[in-house]
Amino acid sequence: MSVVKHEDDARLNHLIAALPEDEFTRLKQNLEPVSLSLGKVIYESGELLEYVYFPTTAIISLLYIMENGSTAEIGMAGNDGLVGVALFMGGSTTPNRAVVQSAGNAFRLRTKALQYEFGLNGMFQKILLRYTQYLMTQISQTAVCNRLHSVEQQLCRWLLINHDLLQTNKLIMTHDLIANMLGVRREGVSIAAGHLQKRGLIKYVRGTITMLDREGLETAACECYKVVKEEYDRLLGKYISKNI
Amino acid sequence: MTEITTSDAPIYNRLLAALPAGEYRNLFPKLEQIPLIYGENIYKYNEIISDVYFPDSGIISMLASVGNSSTLEVGIIGREGIVGLPVFLGVKISNNEAIVQGEGSAKRMKAEDFLIECGNGGTLPRILNRFTHSLLTQISQSAVCYRFHLIEARLARWLLMTSDRMETGEFPITQEFLSNMLGVRREAVNKSAVILQQENLITYSRGNITITNRRGLEMKACQCYAIIKAEAASFTV
Repeated sequence: MSVVKHEDDARLNHLIAALPEDEFTRLKQNLEPVSLSLGKVIYESGELLEYVYFPTTAIISLLYIMENGSTAEIGMAGNDGLVGVALFMGGSTTPNRAVVQSAGNAFRLRTKALQYEFGLNGMFQKILLRYTQYLMTQISQTAVCNRLHSVEQQLCRWLLINHDLLQTNKLIMTHDLIANMLGVRREGVSIAAGHLQKRGLIKYVRGTITMLDREGLETAACECYKVVKEEYDRLLGKYISKNI
Repeated sequence: MTEITTSDAPIYNRLLAALPAGEYRNLFPKLEQIPLIYGENIYKYNEIISDVYFPDSGIISMLASVGNSSTLEVGIIGREGIVGLPVFLGVKISNNEAIVQGEGSAKRMKAEDFLIECGNGGTLPRILNRFTHSLLTQISQSAVCYRFHLIEARLARWLLMTSDRMETGEFPITQEFLSNMLGVRREAVNKSAVILQQENLITYSRGNITITNRRGLEMKACQCYAIIKAEAASFTV
């Protein structure tokens, strides 16, 4: 991890951007910029958390680890969110692992500074609580999705979310990584991706997925994509400026 | 509606019980004692949450909506928790459904009174934060459970969690209800129940489930049961 960016860039994170000037000024001296490489473990299941992370260009995935080692993603956060809800919920450890799923930058905040600002009953607290409710919906929807939807539908949903967070139609991603995220075997991902490619929705070459037809992907995805996106807008939309 | 007792009466809800005595006394006049009736809707999808509920006994099930008609259980709440958490998190309209799955009783409070209490600088918000963390753990566990575990293991977990909250090894339940809770067809529920019965872990007749071998059922349940239980047990404020 190396220091990369000026602290004002923290406002590339939508939750930070939603803070009024005085709260941001107070907070920014404690926001530490970090550069996160692909696959880096932000925290491990059961480990004591030290920081909450606000991604600006990175995507961090919340993975659940089963006893036999298999994993499945239960949620993710990019510039729309944060990682480390347990810290302000007084739980200090979590039963999941947070892993960098797309390399990039984030700003992190130490527990103490976080809890201090959270305790002031200002916008920071309000945004973080609402984000927690959003996270609950995201995870609930993952439950629904895992129970009811096909790998292909889930893959579409997953690609759309990544697209939204990265604002690019090219994703660097191996089938192995996707399989770990979706909690299915690699072959399952390959078959689904092959299908989507045949339908002209994506192109997959050497670890790069290019989205060719966004509308088509939205149609092919399960309802979960829309449900979660609408919930974000409902809970946080009015605080978040549309032009960042 | 039953007559409310005094603030000196035993407190069954664990969140309320965790409050300092003085804080609970202040809260008490705003609590209304109500029965939880099996199958009753506590709140519906897309409706304003007008009250929050602290169960003394019984179970409330949280259901995510699936498509336009169906539902799937993502968590259950008994006397260890509160129903209506979105109000605390700043959200007035529910995005899921809550129904009574095991009858009992609860203390109910108007959402606006509850918000005032949360803003009073007492212990309540800290307790609610901590419960939010537990609930997040439970919902996360549901998500992976649906991905990885067999119906029998899920049924075993569900029966154990229900039994813990009802504080009895015997309770009424229909197959249709179970099928909605576990997100599988009735035939599949039936098949799994038969297997658990053949292994002498439960008996199931006329809509009544009796757990006959709790240890065995725990062995049969997926790891999710132990994880959720450990999280709830570590609850300190």
